[in-house]
Amino acid sequence: MIIELKKFGSTLISRPSGKEAWLAFQPILKDIPENEEVIVDFEGVAVLTPSWTDEFLTPLVSRFKNKVKLHNTDNASVKATLEILAK
Amino acid sequence: MHRLGGICIGLHRYDRIYVDYKNMPKNLISISEAAKQVGASVDTLRRWDKSYRLPSIRIGPRGHRFYSQEDIHRFLRNDSSVAKQWAISPNAELPASEVYCPTRDIFQARLEKLQSVLQGKISDSSISLLCAITGEIGNNSFDHNLGNWPDVTGIYFSYSLRERTIVLADRGLGILRTLKRVRPELSTSSEALKVAFTETLSGRFPEARGNGLKFVRSVIIKNPFTLRFQTGNALLLLKEFDKDIVVSQTDEGVGGCVAIIGFEKSL
Repeated sequence: MIIELKKFGSTLISRPSGKEAWLAFQPILKDIPENEEVIVDFEGVAVLTPSWTDEFLTPLVSRFKNKVKLHNTDNASVKATLEILAK
Repeated sequence: MHRLGGICIGLHRYDRIYVDYKNMPKNLISISEAAKQVGASVDTLRRWDKSYRLPSIRIGPRGHRFYSQEDIHRFLRNDSSVAKQWAISPNAELPASEVYCPTRDIFQARLEKLQSVLQGKISDSSISLLCAITGEIGNNSFDHNLGNWPDVTGIYFSYSLRERTIVLADRGLGILRTLKRVRPELSTSSEALKVAFTETLSGRFPEARGNGLKFVRSVIIKNPFTLRFQTGNALLLLKEFDKDIVVSQTDEGVGGCVAIIGFEKSL
């Protein structure tokens, strides 16, 4: 399973839009087998904040745990966001 | 207004100066140059002229708009003080429509516009980080005042490419009142400001939140940016390489928050 974040937009900043993205994705997530890898692809994301990420990635990781893999995390705000959430 | 051969000469009318090309003062710049310096569109400058926010000097028979460089400098210097005055004022008035974001959607659209305005002027990584911290500060205002705005809903948001500043302000509850809900022992804005920038604590208990301003701090101290953040009578100044949070007291208190992000040294 690959989740392309750019399909939610290139400027992912607010909590409500992160929460909305998480809710909108539930029908797809429920069909993913528990042992399948979930790849989150940040390609095409220009601006990311901890607020948006906390509403989408945090619940995703708590559900799929170490099966979640993060790809294309080179963008400066993506890196800074992931650093602060890792603390 | 007197007209001579269809040319407006040397008359002040409603604070605008009408002159002919022969008497055109030196140090005038075109509307497109003024728009570039202010970081707004030519149409926006026309609107600001009509509303007297930034009056032009009309020149020639067709009244083309020009601006004195001094006026533009004064305007840019004043933009952050206009935001602060709006936040402090006892009168709950709406800011000028160009800088007023009553909802998150409008703020998001204008933040995306800022990204495109900054393209090619500073590095992509600086754009990404500046817009991320601007987004966090702006959305923080909406997150913590939703349903509780004391008077004017929404935020003031403007930027200046010439001064390399981004200004955000709100007339919300302020950080002390927000954090007091979850930490009642907090008694001053200075304490609350320090907590907001150093601890993962949210005023929206029981939700696990509260990373926003810590994120802002970590980005500022690792990049050539500055931050001036005031809430109540507490003022935080932050810049690259700063290790500690130093908060000072101001004479005038702000009900909500005023933030000025600087990126003067960004490439």
